[in-house]
Amino acid sequence: MSRNDHDPFPEEAPADPHPHARPDRHPGEAAFSVLMVLASLVLLWEAYGISGFEALSAPGTVPMATTAVMAVCAAIVMLRTFRLPRAEGEGFWKVVLPRPVIVVALLLVGYALLLRPLGFLPTSLLFLVIAVKYLSRRGWGFTLAVSAGSLLAIYLVFRIVFTVLMPPGIVPEGEMIQFFRDLIPGRAG
Amino acid sequence: MDAIAAFLTVFTDLELLLLVAVGTFAGVYIGAIPGLSVTMAVSILISFTFSWDVYPAIALMIGIFMGGVYGGSRTAILLNIPGAPSAIATAMDGYPMARRGEAGTAIGITTVMSFFGGFIGILVLAVAAPLVSDFALSFQPRDYMLLALLGILLVGSLSGESLVKGIFAGALGIAIGAVGMDPLTFTERFTFDQPLLRQGVSFIAVMIGMFGVSEALAQLHHVDTPAIRQKITRIVPSFGTIRRHLPLSLQTSTIGVVIGALPGTGGDIAALLAYDHARRVTKKPERPFGQGAIEGLVAPETANNAAVGGAFIPMMTLGIPGDAVTAIMIGALFIHGLNPGPMLMIDRPEMFWFVVGALVAANFFMLLFGLTGIRLFTRIVEMPRAVLIPLILLLSIVGAYAVNNSITDVYWMLGFGLLGYFMRLYGWPLGPVILGVILSRLFDDNWRRAIISVREDFGRFFWGILTSPLSLALFTAVVLIFLSQTPLWGWAKARLFGRGAEDAP
Repeated sequence: MSRNDHDPFPEEAPADPHPHARPDRHPGEAAFSVLMVLASLVLLWEAYGISGFEALSAPGTVPMATTAVMAVCAAIVMLRTFRLPRAEGEGFWKVVLPRPVIVVALLLVGYALLLRPLGFLPTSLLFLVIAVKYLSRRGWGFTLAVSAGSLLAIYLVFRIVFTVLMPPGIVPEGEMIQFFRDLIPGRAG
Repeated sequence: MDAIAAFLTVFTDLELLLLVAVGTFAGVYIGAIPGLSVTMAVSILISFTFSWDVYPAIALMIGIFMGGVYGGSRTAILLNIPGAPSAIATAMDGYPMARRGEAGTAIGITTVMSFFGGFIGILVLAVAAPLVSDFALSFQPRDYMLLALLGILLVGSLSGESLVKGIFAGALGIAIGAVGMDPLTFTERFTFDQPLLRQGVSFIAVMIGMFGVSEALAQLHHVDTPAIRQKITRIVPSFGTIRRHLPLSLQTSTIGVVIGALPGTGGDIAALLAYDHARRVTKKPERPFGQGAIEGLVAPETANNAAVGGAFIPMMTLGIPGDAVTAIMIGALFIHGLNPGPMLMIDRPEMFWFVVGALVAANFFMLLFGLTGIRLFTRIVEMPRAVLIPLILLLSIVGAYAVNNSITDVYWMLGFGLLGYFMRLYGWPLGPVILGVILSRLFDDNWRRAIISVREDFGRFFWGILTSPLSLALFTAVVLIFLSQTPLWGWAKARLFGRGAEDAP
């Protein structure tokens, strides 16, 4: 197995199991730390708006304290991050957001958008087929068989065993289940 | 007598026993498959079991927990990929053993030692928890507040690259937990005037996002890594081997229980400390450490399974989670209307003994599944990630949706998944966030109770801490964690342990 020196999520066990700070920063890390500082400040302002410095037991005291701690910590991290040298040979699109991550993230957003109108079964099948086809680069036969098979398994386990309700959408799911129930004698209704 | 009956519930009810077995079986494989983690599995599972009765739900989750902590060792040994953080130390000597063709021996030892460690952990839990819970009745609100703080800080200081990032993550968690209506005064907090935010953020959505989606996105970096085959031969270890390592395994189990019982520290840290301990005390390992020493397997594996029992002590008696998984277990108990804490032990003692019984059952199943089914195992681990990752994501979405039948929760989950992905990438730990979310209410309520009881007088609050031995001890621990990150600590350590450090190799 080849070890990628610029892998932000190393898989293999590290040579030294104790966690360590990195000597350099990944692309985008400085920007992320700035973002964390800004977000903390916005939250701190919002926390101040809850009850201000009204009383130590006021509903806004703990939020203000925690967001203040967040802001201070984020600021320290930001200063430390800016002092680190940028890691050499790391491209943002390769290390931080490689194409599979972007594609799958977009697929997830699409899934969330389609779930209600289209229903669980068609949306999930669509999602699995596209994701598996894209990630595995295998033939359509493999993709369709794996997607449909695993979706069926998930559906049986979670819909029937765990009785989870998912949006039916365009599939008359309730009627289907009722139809199969009726087939089993003695368990009608 | 009631305690014994409750303890035996799992063994007398076939359905519950079966659920523990299924859970343990699933846990072993979830822990073993790279890309699936116990935290992920339990957080997704909460959402599916929340309509169940509490016993079956807990039985399943305990099985997964126990099996998962053990299962992580499999891939650590076979592929040098720790299936779970608690198996990082296992890879140090397990993988070299597998490369010598001793994978079977390594797995056998690991299984038996995990069983042994797990048993010690459960034993200590059964003995210590009732005592701790008696003691906990005398805790003041400020003690709970300090305990919650300590737990978050410990996770933050030990799990990531730096304490500062850990503290940030913990504070973020507390803030997330505060979103919505304040339960005491009905003031809106962090709602940005959005009606949608009034009910707060579903902590299950946060959990699944951070441990399911972000992990799956991170795994996409390895989507092309081919699975590796390993041949496994003899697996049941000889009795002599086990007896030879009994003294060490007792010591490392003790380390495991103690570390597991500290709020905020779990199996991963226990395993590392036990590994270091074994390296120190083993004068003549059969092989040098790092090249396939059996002692290097025994230590972390006894410790991380012993830590399971240990982690249940603060969880059941104080409501303070030992690590991310127990934090999620606490969430599960909340959902089922139980309130972990000293009162749980008084109001629902049968619940506690049921948990102990389920743990014992899970431990036996772990031994059983660990020593059998190797051929099936090698098959499952070879499952390509191109299929695995879309499935995890699908389950995450279903899980997040199923709790409240709400598409908003799915968006929250995706948002936190993305945030978690970047946090992972840049070395911000996620464990403290979850601990913070779970402990937010407890922290906030107890702070307000404590400060109201001294009529908002900060001086008296502080005086209260100084004059109560327990509060003082907790407060000192909190301060020490901070000091440990400053240069002052290194200086003090050099002065105090200067000579000891020189003796060490």
